[in-house]
Amino acid sequence: MYSISILKYLRIVEVSNDHDLKNLKNSGVHMKTKLTLICLLLNFFYFQAQAQERIISGTVMSDSDGLPLPGVNVLVKGTSTGTITDFDGKYSISATDGESLVFSFLGFETKEVVVAGQDTIDIVLGESASALGEVVLVGYGSTKKQDVTGSITRIKAEELVKQPALTPTQSLQGKASGVQIISSGAPGSSPIVRIRGTGTVQAGRDPIYVVDGIITDRIDNISSEDITSIDILKDASSLAIYGTRGANGVIIVTTKSGKAGKMQIDLSSYYGMKDILSKVDMASSSEYVAFSNRAYGYERFSPDQQYNTDWFDEITRTGTVMNHNISISGGSEKITSFFSGNYFEEEGILKGNDYRRLNLRGKASYNLSDKLKFDHNISLSLNRSIPKPYSTFTTAYKQSPIVPVRYVGGSYDGRYGVPFDDSGASFNNVGNPVAALDLNDEKQNNLILQGNVSATYDVTDYLSATSRFGIESGYGKSYVFTPNLQQFLAADPTREVSDFNSDNRNTLKVRKSDFYHWVFDAFLTFDKRFAEKHGVKLTLGTTAEEEQNEFIEGTRNNVPDDSNLFSLNNGEEGTDIANSALSDKRRLRSYFARLNYDFDNKYLLTATIRRDGSSVFANTDDKWGNFPSVGLGWVVSNEEFLNNSNVVNNLKLRASWGQLGNQNIPLNALTFNSDLGYVFGSDQVITPGSTITAIIDKNVGWEVTEEYDFGIEFAFLDNRLSGEFDYYDKLNKNAILPISLPDVFGASGITLTHAGKIRNRGLEFALNWEDKINDDFNYHIGGNLTKNDNNLEEITNPFAFEQQGGSLGNGQVTKRLKEGQPLGSFYLLEVQGFDERGDFVYRDLNNDGAIDDRDRQFFGSIQPDIYFGINAGFDYKSWDFNVQGYGNTGSMVYNGKKAQRFGGENVEASVAQNIFNFDNGSNMNPAPSNEVPLSSTYFLENGDFFRINNITLGYTLPDVISGAKKIRIYALAQNPFIFKKFTGFTPELPGNGDPLGDSSGIELNAYPSVKSYIVGVNLNF
Amino acid sequence: MKKLINIVITGLMILSLAACSDNEFLDVQPSKETPEQALSSPTAATELVNAVYNKFLDFNESSFSWIGITSITTDDADKGSDPGDTGTDKDLMDALTFTSNTISINEVWEANYQGIARANQALQYLPDLDIDETLKARLIGETKFLRSIFYFRLVRMFGGVPLIQKVPDIQNQEDINVANTRVSKEEIYAFIMTDLQDAADNLPVSYSSSDLGRATKGAALTLLAKVNMYQENWQQVYDLTNQVMTLGYSLTPQYEDIWKEIGENNSESIFEIQGRGETPNKGVQGYFVVQGARGAGGWGWGFNTPTEDLTNSYEEGDERKDATIIFRGETLWDGLLVAETVSNPRYNQKAYVSKTMESFNGGDWESNKNVRILRYAEVLLMNAEAALKVGGDAKTPLNLVRKRAGLEGLDNVTQMDVWKERRWELAFEHDRYFDLVRQGRAGEVLRAHGKNFVDGKNELFPIPQAQIDLSKGQLTQNPGY
Repeated sequence: MYSISILKYLRIVEVSNDHDLKNLKNSGVHMKTKLTLICLLLNFFYFQAQAQERIISGTVMSDSDGLPLPGVNVLVKGTSTGTITDFDGKYSISATDGESLVFSFLGFETKEVVVAGQDTIDIVLGESASALGEVVLVGYGSTKKQDVTGSITRIKAEELVKQPALTPTQSLQGKASGVQIISSGAPGSSPIVRIRGTGTVQAGRDPIYVVDGIITDRIDNISSEDITSIDILKDASSLAIYGTRGANGVIIVTTKSGKAGKMQIDLSSYYGMKDILSKVDMASSSEYVAFSNRAYGYERFSPDQQYNTDWFDEITRTGTVMNHNISISGGSEKITSFFSGNYFEEEGILKGNDYRRLNLRGKASYNLSDKLKFDHNISLSLNRSIPKPYSTFTTAYKQSPIVPVRYVGGSYDGRYGVPFDDSGASFNNVGNPVAALDLNDEKQNNLILQGNVSATYDVTDYLSATSRFGIESGYGKSYVFTPNLQQFLAADPTREVSDFNSDNRNTLKVRKSDFYHWVFDAFLTFDKRFAEKHGVKLTLGTTAEEEQNEFIEGTRNNVPDDSNLFSLNNGEEGTDIANSALSDKRRLRSYFARLNYDFDNKYLLTATIRRDGSSVFANTDDKWGNFPSVGLGWVVSNEEFLNNSNVVNNLKLRASWGQLGNQNIPLNALTFNSDLGYVFGSDQVITPGSTITAIIDKNVGWEVTEEYDFGIEFAFLDNRLSGEFDYYDKLNKNAILPISLPDVFGASGITLTHAGKIRNRGLEFALNWEDKINDDFNYHIGGNLTKNDNNLEEITNPFAFEQQGGSLGNGQVTKRLKEGQPLGSFYLLEVQGFDERGDFVYRDLNNDGAIDDRDRQFFGSIQPDIYFGINAGFDYKSWDFNVQGYGNTGSMVYNGKKAQRFGGENVEASVAQNIFNFDNGSNMNPAPSNEVPLSSTYFLENGDFFRINNITLGYTLPDVISGAKKIRIYALAQNPFIFKKFTGFTPELPGNGDPLGDSSGIELNAYPSVKSYIVGVNLNF
Repeated sequence: MKKLINIVITGLMILSLAACSDNEFLDVQPSKETPEQALSSPTAATELVNAVYNKFLDFNESSFSWIGITSITTDDADKGSDPGDTGTDKDLMDALTFTSNTISINEVWEANYQGIARANQALQYLPDLDIDETLKARLIGETKFLRSIFYFRLVRMFGGVPLIQKVPDIQNQEDINVANTRVSKEEIYAFIMTDLQDAADNLPVSYSSSDLGRATKGAALTLLAKVNMYQENWQQVYDLTNQVMTLGYSLTPQYEDIWKEIGENNSESIFEIQGRGETPNKGVQGYFVVQGARGAGGWGWGFNTPTEDLTNSYEEGDERKDATIIFRGETLWDGLLVAETVSNPRYNQKAYVSKTMESFNGGDWESNKNVRILRYAEVLLMNAEAALKVGGDAKTPLNLVRKRAGLEGLDNVTQMDVWKERRWELAFEHDRYFDLVRQGRAGEVLRAHGKNFVDGKNELFPIPQAQIDLSKGQLTQNPGY
């Protein structure tokens, strides 16, 4: 006991003070100030010596893992006598009969035991259900959830691992209000994350991640098993400390650390099968022939067809997913360490599409002295993927069933099927999707290394200095092998090798890329209570960042066909093409300050300011911006009149205002485009050419987002009912938009400038009920809902234009950016019905007798009005059960694969079976046609859906293996059911995240939603 | 407490020290050349001008859209490809039912102004660069020649258009007004003629072999003659063509050879867009593929196919018929048998690249095809047409062209003879539509061909609605659209 460092005392005392606040108050004891407690406890050996009572000793254990809990605060109720448990969870304390011992520890329930003659009191502490004492991370520090004036949602580890996924962000779906996760089921893909709506068009739209204090753009290199908690910062008061990095929200990830005490080994594994969640039925050969012959107006295809290919079946398979994880942790009071290894493997539902990842992480923490603490954390993530073109989902949809995968018999025996009719004429432009998969030979390997070191020095008990340096670096290599000869032969069954007139049998492209990013932070934290009631916490710091990326690639023709010989050296000399690019270096320099003040733990104030300078504004006069915020809170439940309430355990009102910046635009510099060479001379030499082809605006600066937030947090009825409501209003006051200069100016590429105001306004609700009926049974049910109103409020630049987007690649565009409309709005012709020939009748909006772009209108956006998640579960004896669902309403989806249809392509079975009826003239589909359809409401569908994304049933085995503390086996179904109106493969279409993009909210070349069935086991030693 | 204050003060001092170097820290150099860096290169002047040439390789400048506007609209070409395949809007081009929203039209507008912008960039920087004055004058001449091609394309399509003479400043209201205002057709022609006269004065008659392909004096004079022809300044056309005829050009003996690799930059060539079919490829994007035969045994998309009308129009024995048209089932000059299974009966042979007899590395997007812009045969035909107007000898130049095609010479030459000859000689060389409009018989000819040509409307193409919108309605629309 004497060896426990002062440092530890300080930490624990602080914690216990915070946590026991109510207990102390409830017992009528005069409030102790932190300072007094510190003094008292620093000298508690003195008190111990003074005591005359009997000594009670015992061990405190954790309920969840049965491990001893070191550092638990043990206090004799109503006195200032206290101690803490040692390394093995043991304690001893003096008390007299009739007195109560209070055991409290951060994150655990507080327990009280009356002393009645026992010499030994062993205690098992359960983890705390209430969030009262919970500490959340706030950026450059942490604070009690109770003291936060902003909107922060915390997701704990156990919630993440309930939803196995490649990336932790995927596991967040539906778990936090205000956080929209739009995912694609594609192997190795990362979902799109939007916090409180899409606030910007051109500049970066993604939140940033802060992993163990270090800012980064990615967490897909972290396995969910390695995460302790995720804190999502949503409002300006919380985000302003991140200034320019904060406008799209911040997700703070804390990875696991070793704990002092016994060594702990955790093993977990799961294995699962994946399949497509909802398939689209396509027309059969006979249906296709009937449809097409009517479209052509003559019998182009014989009704008697040899083949009836189900292309979708030909390109897909049952996917598998597998994950193994091991972690080892432990340590002494001086050193703690943590190691984990994770292997993930997925075979996608598209044939040949594979992904593997290996993660290794090592973390250690050293108490170099009582005052100095040093941490380091190194992780490595290695992945390999074999990409396959997702456009094959569209070609499989479009290719005619009368085309064989391969010809059987005849002179074409064994050749790939291509769409030629009996006369040998081609009838569509769709390739053979099976050939596209077979002849696609690509491989990518990536290595991501992240490391950081940090040191914290406690100058005094209320002042500490922290300095951190983090660096991440990634290396990618890939090859793309293009078998030109095979592709040539596959495109036409009549071709022979001798017809191939090119010298270029195949092409090998090898590419290497890398990036680096470093961050340096230094800050001081001052934390002290004055005159008992005034809590002051001040954080003052500075940070600098730099990042850059580069690639180099080389191409040669005619390498040997074996992949082990895929080296450029083995290619044909003189066919080299080399290419490389170095990105603009980006640097950021910032200063920040934050003041947290509370009066009597009732009235809270948070004020922050951050000053940021960015290298991006190379040509802009002022590179610097200031981003202030202020937050106020009132902890109503700490007022006298609620002090003894059994109903209201927690009630807090809060309000905040702040400004955030966004600088995620390309370097604002006027540069020469040097890729404009031309061939001159009798020897046809490429002579370099370069000029300025873009126009830049010298006035481009920070996007400034201003946000108001009002929130209520509560816990009622013994903390069984808890929740949080928020109203927010977030206005991007000078959104950077690509402006359309008249083409007369001759700019190619995009000109960016401040051109509009984008508002996201909404409500967030989170409500959770949990109850423990008895030791054998507890249950919980909860949900969250976000209503977000997105709107391009105002256009402020004369060159801002109703930018079009959502191109289908057939000359038709579907989206438009317009004042007064949400981002990603569909702008279409309205189909009113069909004329007597079965052609579309469009609404002639301006009554000019012609149907053109002027007759288009807005019909909703890709963005949902409401998205929500629900979860419920129970534990009964050794069984645990959990179910989760996620959904959204109010979004629209464009059926792009259907709308893109060029002549001769297949149609859906429902269309072929409901061909327009000439006689009654009324039907749901137009008459068969091979014309490219105009973009219209006919192809726009409701994007509402509700998906059960997880059902888990687990069973914890009694002691069957000696040494194992816990063995749990489980089975889970991911996405087993979806309720949707959309007739396509998936209403969840993240695309590249650009609301005006060609793939977000438009189903074209999209990966279908998949369902998976998984079994797994967790072992703890 | 005093200790604490000391620490805080020291800390703040360290931070503020760091702040001094902040602006240096934030001052990063772009990874692409800044104007200062680029212009300090000894080859900067040439590179600026090469970038203007480069514009002609772009898909939007010289390829699919331009083919649609100049050929598919006419009686020389059908849309081609399969019936359901619109090629974005080539069906509208074929039927003359395009509107101000038709994409191809906007694309060509955009492309030519991008070309003009590159020329203006070069003309802005060139005068101040420290290079040999003769070279500088030549480079300025080349740039002006190229700029006049862009404007010539625009003025023939749209009539009067905004006249951009320098690099605009988007913050400057006057520059914005200029960009949003159409000047008259005559002003554009006057501007083109000034540019071409400057170019002709400063360009050499020929280049060393390493600079082959650059604009020559002959090119500037020929284009000047053509521009004058569109304004019916026949005396100037006559004089200018006569001047070109003294510069040493001659007809290629075999008409068919002009479009082969062996015919590139030959003595008939006055100006052509250069392409190479070796790694790394460089050429007009898609020009060869877009017009290549489609379907089984084919090699392209199959657009811009010769009409039956054109095929039947040739006189007996005209070698140009077979040199211009690839017939389904025929064996081409390089031995390739065009399969019976290709989708269309005819294709444009002037866009053909032999994969066996010419340099071809498999890269067909940017091919070896040099696109011929101006050639001597056209000079002779312009000369003949002008001669009829000003009372000169039309017979000699016209018959040179006819005889090379394997035809008998004519004794009496009429205007219609010259016009017919232009059709046969220059088919698929992006001239037919404008030629018919110039001759004042576009309506007559195209309606006879079954197209809905509306007099008073279809002489010009519509100003793209997108551009009118961008100008906030300031750009006026052409009549009838």
